[in-house]
Amino acid sequence: MRVLWNELKKILTWKMLVLLIFINSVLYFLLIEFDIEYFPNGSDMYSYNLGIEMIKKYGITMDRDEFIDFEKTYADDVKKADDYLQSREEFGEEGLETYEKFRDYDWVNRSGKASELRDEVFFNQSVDLFWELQERERLIEFYKWKDSIPERLSKKKQQRFEELIAQKKFGLYPEVAWMNFKRFIANVGIAILFSVVLVISPVILKDRSRQIVPMQYTTKKGRKLFRTKILAGVIATFIVITALLTVYFSLYSLNNTSMFFDVRVNTFIGNESWFDPTFFQFIMLFISGIYIIGLVFGLLSMAFSSLVPNMVSLIGIQIPFVIGFLIIGLYPLLPDMISIWNPKWLSLISYCTIIIIVILFTAVLWKREKKMDIL
Amino acid sequence: MIVVKDVSKQYGDFTALQNVNLEFGNGLYGLLAPNGAGKTTLIKMLATLIAPTEGEIFYNGKNINDMDDRYRERLGYLPQQFGYYKNYSPKQYLLYLAALKGIGKKDALDKIEELLEKVALSDVVNKKMKKFSGGMIQRVGIAQALLNDPEILILDEPTAGLDPKERARFRHLLTDLARERLVIISTHIVSDIESIANEIIMIRNKQLLYKDSVADICATLNGCVFETTIDYDQLEDFRKNNILLSEKQEYGNMTVRFIHKGDSEIEWTSVPPHLEDVFLYEYRDELEGDN
Repeated sequence: MRVLWNELKKILTWKMLVLLIFINSVLYFLLIEFDIEYFPNGSDMYSYNLGIEMIKKYGITMDRDEFIDFEKTYADDVKKADDYLQSREEFGEEGLETYEKFRDYDWVNRSGKASELRDEVFFNQSVDLFWELQERERLIEFYKWKDSIPERLSKKKQQRFEELIAQKKFGLYPEVAWMNFKRFIANVGIAILFSVVLVISPVILKDRSRQIVPMQYTTKKGRKLFRTKILAGVIATFIVITALLTVYFSLYSLNNTSMFFDVRVNTFIGNESWFDPTFFQFIMLFISGIYIIGLVFGLLSMAFSSLVPNMVSLIGIQIPFVIGFLIIGLYPLLPDMISIWNPKWLSLISYCTIIIIVILFTAVLWKREKKMDIL
Repeated sequence: MIVVKDVSKQYGDFTALQNVNLEFGNGLYGLLAPNGAGKTTLIKMLATLIAPTEGEIFYNGKNINDMDDRYRERLGYLPQQFGYYKNYSPKQYLLYLAALKGIGKKDALDKIEELLEKVALSDVVNKKMKKFSGGMIQRVGIAQALLNDPEILILDEPTAGLDPKERARFRHLLTDLARERLVIISTHIVSDIESIANEIIMIRNKQLLYKDSVADICATLNGCVFETTIDYDQLEDFRKNNILLSEKQEYGNMTVRFIHKGDSEIEWTSVPPHLEDVFLYEYRDELEGDN
């Protein structure tokens, strides 16, 4: 235990902590800040508010009666908009005395005055009602298309769409919180991946380049220390991921999306998935995924660390792996891991494959380490 | 007792050691050979860092690789390049290595205090090693090799970086230690071991050349080592006809120490051979190659 603790102390140094904070600060401001600071962004605010209102009023699903009620609310709001427009003479002068006329107006060939009035409603006075009406119309439109299936789908995807329609799982709820989370986790995934590789990479190489290995391997512990170093690396990876997830999810909590947590992912607009977890369950899935990817990259870093001769080679060999994963694997394995637009078992098979490969690779390295000459 | 039986080591096509047979009991052994002769290969095999390509090494009748940690817990080892964490103090580093050697923290703290006193580092126990001189680092290395009170102590070039006073202190320390354990020192500095080694091992052409006491090894050159004084102008010719061991300028002439096998001349003084004479004689080809 003392040996493991010593190895862990060698990885998690103050210097490393400072470097970790620096790297994550840079990545936060480059990638993540926008989705925290500007959420909901602009008109997404109305979508977000409407989503909360729907959950409060109808719960996490909407049946036909509830939709009729939703349409009724829309009609009431249209009436309010009519009253507003009729209370303003200038709208009447431009032929915009009702919301219907306002909505159907030929805005492409608009007059200068009409344009001014529209800007006034939407931007200068920012009348919430008009924004909300647009969002309600969008949701009603989606509801009307709920039984339609996109063309040119594979058989399995088509079956899944049919299943969802049969189970009355339609994309009805505003997707703003969901899309925000997907962008957020993709970028958190990048930050965590870089952090793990940064912290874990030198674990084995450092002792070798400082010529400490001959002393270590001639002690009672001997070459078994290699396994302890790997274990320390895995624990350090776990600690780094946990710490970063704690920080990033604390920041994410500022987005105040918890009211959407019980909504099933298939009921967010445009988010058909192979499985149907709730938003919260998906967060848990993401967390499991990021732990697996982090640990896989941690083990890979240690494996490379025990093979390459110096730090430059270590960085050189890892860049293609990390960049390659970010390009090919990040989205299918994290935010889109259950999306219908990827093959159903892609993520599960990918996770299993990378886990098996990395475990085998580490086992081969351990076998090699047991026998190799320490020159 | 360590027995090295028919041991050879090859790195690809290169043979580092060939068919070496040795026996070590308690006492101090000096492994003497020029750089590149295979000393470190032999030392590393004894320390289980390198496996022989052929042959086996036994400790008390058991193969040292099969003994695994039971062999290593009896071993103290100082490598040629002593690596350390520059931000650690000697105490921290020795505590780290003590844990690897399976020594409990409390026992380790007592032992560390005792050893750092022995190697004259008690006043820098908690100072970071990045500020240490080469000699101080080497003394930390010697201390770590002694942490587990080893039955077998293997030191590869232990005096590198030590000043003459430290070397003398080190020699005393080794003499004490070798009384009840097996100590093997690899070096190419003859004076480090000449006066303290029970036996000297010399390797040449990848094979064992000598394993004998200093006196017996020196006896191989009895009657062949001479000193004489010659004119500086004669030096070149003298070098061609004899094997020069040392030369010194004195009052405008050269006093030379040399080996000559055959009839001696009247003005030559026969002197008793030293270990260094044997070393220079046996490795003359390698040493000339280096020069």
